[in-house]
Amino acid sequence: MSTKVRRVYGYLAEFKNASQLYKAAEKVRDAGFKKWDCYSPYPIHGLDDAMGIKRSILPYFVFIGGLTGFLTAITLAYTTQVGLYPTVVQGKPANIFTTAAFFPVMFELTILFSGFTVLFGLLALMGLPRWNHPIFASKQFSRVTDDKFFIAIEARDAKFSAEATKSLLDEIGGDNIELVEDDSE
Amino acid sequence: MAHQVTSKDIPTKGEHLEKSKVAKLQFLAGIIGGGGLILSIIYLWFFGGVENPETPEHESSKAHGSYAFSWLFAVFFVLTIALGGCFWTFLHNLSNSGWGTSVRRMMENLGFVFPFLFIFCIPFLFPQVQQYLWEWMTSYNAAVDAHPEMSDKEALFHSSNTHDHLLAAKVFYLHPGFWLARFFTYFIGLGFFIWLVRKFSIAQDTDNNPGTKNLFAARKHSSWSMIVFGVTLTFLALDLVMALDFSWFSTMFGVYIFAGSALNSMAVLILTGIFLQRAGYLKNVVTQEHYHIMGKLCFAFTVFWAYVSFSQFFLIWYANITEETRYFLLRNTENWNLVSLSLVFMHFALPFLALLRSDVKKNQKFMIGLCCYILFMHAVDVYHMIIPERGPSVGLVVDHAPKLWLGGSWVGDIIALVIAVSGFLFFYLRNLTSAALYPHRDPRILESANLHN
Repeated sequence: MSTKVRRVYGYLAEFKNASQLYKAAEKVRDAGFKKWDCYSPYPIHGLDDAMGIKRSILPYFVFIGGLTGFLTAITLAYTTQVGLYPTVVQGKPANIFTTAAFFPVMFELTILFSGFTVLFGLLALMGLPRWNHPIFASKQFSRVTDDKFFIAIEARDAKFSAEATKSLLDEIGGDNIELVEDDSE
Repeated sequence: MAHQVTSKDIPTKGEHLEKSKVAKLQFLAGIIGGGGLILSIIYLWFFGGVENPETPEHESSKAHGSYAFSWLFAVFFVLTIALGGCFWTFLHNLSNSGWGTSVRRMMENLGFVFPFLFIFCIPFLFPQVQQYLWEWMTSYNAAVDAHPEMSDKEALFHSSNTHDHLLAAKVFYLHPGFWLARFFTYFIGLGFFIWLVRKFSIAQDTDNNPGTKNLFAARKHSSWSMIVFGVTLTFLALDLVMALDFSWFSTMFGVYIFAGSALNSMAVLILTGIFLQRAGYLKNVVTQEHYHIMGKLCFAFTVFWAYVSFSQFFLIWYANITEETRYFLLRNTENWNLVSLSLVFMHFALPFLALLRSDVKKNQKFMIGLCCYILFMHAVDVYHMIIPERGPSVGLVVDHAPKLWLGGSWVGDIIALVIAVSGFLFFYLRNLTSAALYPHRDPRILESANLHN
């Protein structure tokens, strides 16, 4: 037996079905918790509203990313093809009116930069990649990929308290309430 | 979250748009549309006369030829809206969608305007109209008359006009008889299928054993209907618009028309939904989530339209083939250039930026404005497709002195547009009042009413 002091991650409570989880999530939201999450084997429509999650700021990043790509493409195509080294194709002039030829580049770079911003912005906002998650210490949690629904309230939430949070989870219908301790070294 | 819609919220007999509520509007639309159609037919039939190029009567024929183009512009504009309605209906059934069950009837009603629009296409059958719009018919008839002993292809090769050699190569398709056969086939074919699919949907409303029978039948028949739709839209566009200049061709043209149709019919659907809700209908089944999805589709087709129309321009511009570039040369000569540029910025860029945000798509006031704007820009798009051909065509037939812009011809364009849109509105209202406003016995009406995306 190890006698090491472990950090408490938070409470984990099990729910039987999506409807219970949904109703419980609304109550946890109304109790004012911020650092908590729902876990389910499949996506549940409207759960983000029930959890009171605000809209992600990702779209703004993506807009800026796309705009950067668009401007990069204009600069790249214009300076090289009009300024530095015009490539004359079929006697077409090299000036601002030949922007039509640059459109594919503008389109592609806009899409590429937007795509990259989506991917990397998403990973950054989710805090991924990471090696482990403290909640994996719970044995029962493995059933989240099968037939069980969970709510975990983290200990670092300002409203967390060892007694009150447990009784709240009990009150809203949680089973097998477990205090999860971070077992990573 | 809003109240969960249950079967108690769905009236057993369905919601019906009361005829009295729209009677005035429908009557007015009918008077303008019907009266205008009759007057236009009389004008186009009697006051043109087949031209004799040797003794041209300039002004009256010019106005007459000019109005023929106005008529094509106006009728083609409303045709694209109705065709878009057919597309959304078939797509909705075919993709087995649940979200739009509560707006599906509007799509069906919009699509079912298509067969009725045939009466507005009657003037296209008049030789007095055809001679201006489709010069290949004039060339064909002249060549065949000049060489009665030859086959039509040979006759065209022997024509004094060397341009007719191009027509000779295409005579298997651009043949007046075949054209006529195709023209009727479009309306009979697609008209039948949209009628059939709508019939299944309406039959479900009064079915004593509401189940999936009619729903599945509609889905099954939407499959080949979609093919019929694709063929009809593409070749209708080819025969009515691309054939304005028989030497020009673009493989992108059908898709271009399709993108515009899907876009502006979605704008009409959003407008219909909003106005019906303001009149007190569809309250329980259509929510802002539906407007959000329809707004997203508008956004998607704004981008798709830009993608396709730019591709068409880009490939022609780059390849620089004489026959192909004529289309854009004409549309960039004189002030038409401004219209071409306005399409880039106002048909694409502005709606694109306006529709980016999701809260905007859920804002009904804003969407009313934007949808009207989209419809207006689509009218400009159709105008840009058709009207630039008018000056050269009418000029050539009348006095061999092509001018790009015929003074005062815009008056005819507006008159024709008012007539065609009124006629369209009349039939659309007729369809809306002829059945329940949403399929209240569809198994997925509750899924749709409680939509969350």
